[in-house]
Amino acid sequence: MILQQIVNGISIGAVYALIAVGYSLVYSVLNFSNFAHGDVLMLGAYIGFFSLMLLKVPFPLAIALAMVGAGIIAMIIEKIAYRPLRLRRAPLLYFMISAMGMSIFLQNFTIVTIGPNFRTYPDIFPVKPFAVGNLSIGRLDLVILIVTVIVLLLLTWLVYKTRIGIAIQAAAYNMRVASLMGINPDLIATLVFLLAGASAGIGGVLFGMKYTVYPWMGMLTIKAFVAAVVGGLGSLPGAVVGAFVLGITETFAAAYISSAFRDLFSYLLMTIIIVARPAGLMGTVAQEKA
Amino acid sequence: MALLEITNLSKFFGGVKAVDDFNYTLDSGHLHAIIGPNGAGKTTIFNLITGIYPPTQGKIFFDGQEITNLPPHVIAQKGIARTFQNIRLFPDFSVLDNVRTACHQQANYSILEGLFPTPRRARQEKELTERAYNLLELVGLANRAKERAKNLPYGHQRRLEIARALALQPRLLLLDEPAAGMNPDETEKLMDFIEEIKEKFNLTILLIEHHMEVVMGLCDDIVVIDFGKKIAQGTPEQIQSDETVIQAYLGAGEEL
Amino acid sequence: MSGYFAGIVILTCVNLLAVLGLSLLTGFTGSFCFGQAGFMAVGAYVSTLLTMRLNAPFPLALVAGCFASLLVSIPLGYPTLRLKGDYFAIATLGFAEATRLVVENLEKITGGSRGIPSIPTRTSLPVILIVALFCVWLIRNYVSSRHGRNCIAVREDQLAAEAIAVNTFRYKQISFAINAALAGLSGGFLAHYVGFIQPSMFGIPKSTELIAMVIFGGMHSVTGAVLASIVLTALPEVLRVASAWRLVAYGALVVTIMVVRPEGLLGSWELSWSSLRELRSAWQRRFQTQS
Repeated sequence: MILQQIVNGISIGAVYALIAVGYSLVYSVLNFSNFAHGDVLMLGAYIGFFSLMLLKVPFPLAIALAMVGAGIIAMIIEKIAYRPLRLRRAPLLYFMISAMGMSIFLQNFTIVTIGPNFRTYPDIFPVKPFAVGNLSIGRLDLVILIVTVIVLLLLTWLVYKTRIGIAIQAAAYNMRVASLMGINPDLIATLVFLLAGASAGIGGVLFGMKYTVYPWMGMLTIKAFVAAVVGGLGSLPGAVVGAFVLGITETFAAAYISSAFRDLFSYLLMTIIIVARPAGLMGTVAQEKA
Repeated sequence: MALLEITNLSKFFGGVKAVDDFNYTLDSGHLHAIIGPNGAGKTTIFNLITGIYPPTQGKIFFDGQEITNLPPHVIAQKGIARTFQNIRLFPDFSVLDNVRTACHQQANYSILEGLFPTPRRARQEKELTERAYNLLELVGLANRAKERAKNLPYGHQRRLEIARALALQPRLLLLDEPAAGMNPDETEKLMDFIEEIKEKFNLTILLIEHHMEVVMGLCDDIVVIDFGKKIAQGTPEQIQSDETVIQAYLGAGEEL
Repeated sequence: MSGYFAGIVILTCVNLLAVLGLSLLTGFTGSFCFGQAGFMAVGAYVSTLLTMRLNAPFPLALVAGCFASLLVSIPLGYPTLRLKGDYFAIATLGFAEATRLVVENLEKITGGSRGIPSIPTRTSLPVILIVALFCVWLIRNYVSSRHGRNCIAVREDQLAAEAIAVNTFRYKQISFAINAALAGLSGGFLAHYVGFIQPSMFGIPKSTELIAMVIFGGMHSVTGAVLASIVLTALPEVLRVASAWRLVAYGALVVTIMVVRPEGLLGSWELSWSSLRELRSAWQRRFQTQS
């Protein structure tokens, strides 16, 4: 059964990876933890849901709409809640507070408008799982893994192989110097949020399909944070690695201890990493310049 | 006995050797300087002395006691004060409070007395305020005591930072580029000021500076650093005529 | 005083105690704590268990709850206060959530997610009002002392604070402990006023409410914390706003304040004899120029 748990862990880890990579991208370029990231994921999930249920569009289109919609929402959030602070060079604390406020706003706005009920995605894929030897791999899990891999590959190509990606990397390294080289920080910020939002949107749809859609999905931001911390804050590949580590260990904790323990475990894991190895598995700790 | 003794000090950041086997002895009562090209490792040495990060290798002794891996606030307590290259005032604090906060060691009323005021606290607070005003007068900022530190012009901010460092009643004062951004007139006033506080407070002062007239005009002993290593040490005359120093600053093959 | 009005005052004082702690920890010391509700929960549950299971007198239970919360902050703070701002914030959030989860799962003791009903309502208006005002006085004193200045130095520039011999870690610990104590006290009063407690009362919405109050009033002002507690407790009660809309408003309020006026309503302005005198002379000057 261990192999089965690993499969489950990989599946949820893939979703975590989609969230974590966007979170880590924003963190490495703009140096703050976007607490509202998970709520963009939540909105993406709802967009996908309503596209399927109300607009009755085919599944790939629903994902595309969720991706685009979430990306746009993320860009708007940046413009409203973070850009004014960045332009004013506000301290980090203010960004965090603004992000929290935005998160609470989005969550509760969803509750009062769409309603607090849990929504279930229709079964897009046949429920009967694949049997590979003793393993039972759900078709949905396979789709999740495939989509995640595609998205991550696209992101990798974008960030490491295109000019705009190099600009993002430069900005991640040092925004001020990058702007002196002619890179527009506002453009970079918009782009980074677009990418982060888009990947979160897809993650939201996949999460919604695997579990359910509800206004508090934003709490997954914490999972993204844990994943990013485990892998090393500021490292994109680290975020992905951390996400899978989290997904797998969490699944084991839920299976062998108790499912209520699942969330508690992720907090525990995070605490251990923060205390024992704050740089995470793949990150580096930067020294503050005096 | 030397006031500050540094032996085999090294600091590596990954592959970068910011400070490489630095040995230095500093006697009390004099004005010293560390000079060198940009990026040579001077501020890193300051940071190592004040405990901001631990050295990769080596030891630092202050007044006979080893201070190598102590936290910064303990080192400050022991009598080493500093200013920063990129001024680090408390921006939202008033000018007065920037200095008054640094006086906190001269009071000893407890946390409990922080919550429940006593006559002793009131008395000590009055003393702290007086001390702070005296220091502000020394640097000519007493009339701006209530202003926000971040609103001061650059030159005044530098003076305020020095006043704050003096509030610690240090024995060793580390000044990181105190003359940065100053015109010749201000620089001269600064030099007079440094000499004044050295006498008045019986200080030993270690400067990092790029303004050569300050260094050569004030200091008894100069250390030259390049690429983290000490390349020369001596009096101003000795340094000015040292071949390796000239090369480091001007590069080899320069026609003078 | 009518029961309804008295209730609003009591609730205001409950929030005020928790906000006071946050004001010290987040506002004056600069450590963003998003787990205030967790400390309130500790105070609420410990004091409730003492009054209900052990028949302890209310004042003792209150103090015990307050103290329990303070004790919790010590091991919690030790690893987390060394961390950078956002790590610490998430860690406190994790703490609050973990506390809620633990409470929900210790059904035998805490009643699980259904909570504990029929708590004796021992919170009376004069008592909580006096306690709250007393705590305001305490915190005002602390902030204007050399210890308070050291906390502010930690907030303004931690590196520079260390350079002037301030033990930044110790001061953060102290602020964290005081904050926890105040929140625990608040939780104890809350439990014995509302008459029942449930884990859902101590979740993220509660922590958000409290942070919103600190920000609204002005993070660098104790007077602001008091003002914000009054306005943001009384107003929704008076307007009978539904709980979810209230949070929508809080969220929007927080973002708006950060973008438009991050110093909050009062900024660093404190109500004191000297500040009142300054106001009076500014007012008089205005009339002089007019005549």
